[in-house]
Amino acid sequence: MLAEPTIAHQSEQQHRPAADLGAAALAAPVLLVLFALLLWPLGVLLLRSVGAGTGELSLVTYREVLAEERYWRALGNSALMALASTLGALFLCTPAALYIEGQSGYGRRVLAVLLTIPLSLPGVVIGFFVILFFGRTGVATGLAQELLGRRVPPLAYTFWGLLLGYLYFQIPRVVLVLRGAAAAIDRDTLDAARTLGARPWQVYAAIVVPILRPALLSAGSLSMATAFGAFGTAATLSRGYRVVPLEIAAAFTERFAPELAATLSVLLALLTGALLWGLGAAGSRRHGIL
Amino acid sequence: MTSRHSRSDSLVAVGRTFAVTAAVVCLLPLPLLVAIATSTSWQRGAWAEGPTFRWLAESWDNFAPYAGVSLRLALLTLVIDLILGLPVAWALARRRFPGRQALYALISLPLAVPGIAIALALILAYPTWRAGGWLLVAGHVLYTLPFLVGALAPALAGADLREREAVAATLGAGLLRRLCFVTLPVVRPALLAAAIMVVTLSLGEFNVSFFLFTPTEKTLPVDLYAAYITGRLELAAAATVWFLLLVVPAAAAIEHLGGARVGQA
Repeated sequence: MLAEPTIAHQSEQQHRPAADLGAAALAAPVLLVLFALLLWPLGVLLLRSVGAGTGELSLVTYREVLAEERYWRALGNSALMALASTLGALFLCTPAALYIEGQSGYGRRVLAVLLTIPLSLPGVVIGFFVILFFGRTGVATGLAQELLGRRVPPLAYTFWGLLLGYLYFQIPRVVLVLRGAAAAIDRDTLDAARTLGARPWQVYAAIVVPILRPALLSAGSLSMATAFGAFGTAATLSRGYRVVPLEIAAAFTERFAPELAATLSVLLALLTGALLWGLGAAGSRRHGIL
Repeated sequence: MTSRHSRSDSLVAVGRTFAVTAAVVCLLPLPLLVAIATSTSWQRGAWAEGPTFRWLAESWDNFAPYAGVSLRLALLTLVIDLILGLPVAWALARRRFPGRQALYALISLPLAVPGIAIALALILAYPTWRAGGWLLVAGHVLYTLPFLVGALAPALAGADLREREAVAATLGAGLLRRLCFVTLPVVRPALLAAAIMVVTLSLGEFNVSFFLFTPTEKTLPVDLYAAYITGRLELAAAATVWFLLLVVPAAAAIEHLGGARVGQA
């Protein structure tokens, strides 16, 4: 999933013994902290999901979750949202990244900066943006009512409202991953294809997409995993379309069922982990997110 | 412009259209937000009675204390990240040792696990720590540390930097002098960008904080969420304006210093 930092010096590699006490000392604090605050809690989460708090181990909560239509629907909603927002973001961002990396000058820089703004926004703010446009008193809702001359139900709390919110936070992330790879595309090849009469879509199909394939895969896997785990945007728009993270929060804070919440969390984490590793491995390691 | 450009004209035009569309989509909510925050009543129309600063003033009183909590938390997260992250970034950049890749994967693991699952895991493992706000700090450190290490390790591994350090060493400069006068100036932009990124990510973090916050340690995004769910639209918009004034300049600074990295939503 992640690219590793540049490999250390060759000479060092050769005469350094297998056990490096210096490196161990440097890494020890992080290892201790990550064990205590990450691995141990995740282990507890797993144990609680198999009923360790109640006495004996069993898969009963897993069976309950899989038997409930509500959770299957949430899973389907999450999967549809992840897929749709990922494909939408890839479609929009591939030409955008190619353009930004292909041009030099001020306009390109401004576009690059503008496209990073949503990175610093929490999901809840993005959900609020959707409400501003498509909520009950939203601009787009008002405009539609003027045009149609009748009341229009707000789009914000439906699949489409949530999709726009998800696209909003996917765009900058996908652009960032694709920009690095797009910079490496040889402009002369593109120009040659154009001179030979290829239409833009043919250039994309024959040159750009094949070259960017590893980056598209890692951007896609990152974007899918982000969408499955995204909570803030869905929480702000939670009145209608239910996704898995909302059900986890509801299980814990409304139904006071930590075992149920733990089970749903484990399933969600396995799903995002598998997506990142699976699709990420299909792309090259060099195009990771770090 | 040049003949080169005119030949690939329509290809560039397609790219430009998509890039500008994406940028407009990213930007469009901001003027609308300001218009709502400065309107007396949005339902009666934008600036129906002229612009007002009433909502901005009212939301500031609410914003300031939460901003204090969030900034304190972000700075504490940064300090802990630096203490933990600098040595390990150095080790990853300069040393070869068994388990090096596993260590890097472990540090990056929080990016692969949904924030809500990390928060739940922390609560279930340490239920008594939540009250003091320590789980909130733990969650923010877990979630920001991969970005700090990921930004610093490549900067520290640069061949040019290592050569300069070697030259300084042959000229008789000690470790401390090399660190202060050779290493630090070279990695400073990366260090600064990483630090701003950690602070920005921490200020905007919601997924982990939503489960871990306490009545006394409530962060800005959690407060914004409450305003979105229950508050008046104009007040919620005003609070968001204050929040954006805090984080957007930081985001621009990161891009200026060499580019942003990708976080959770």
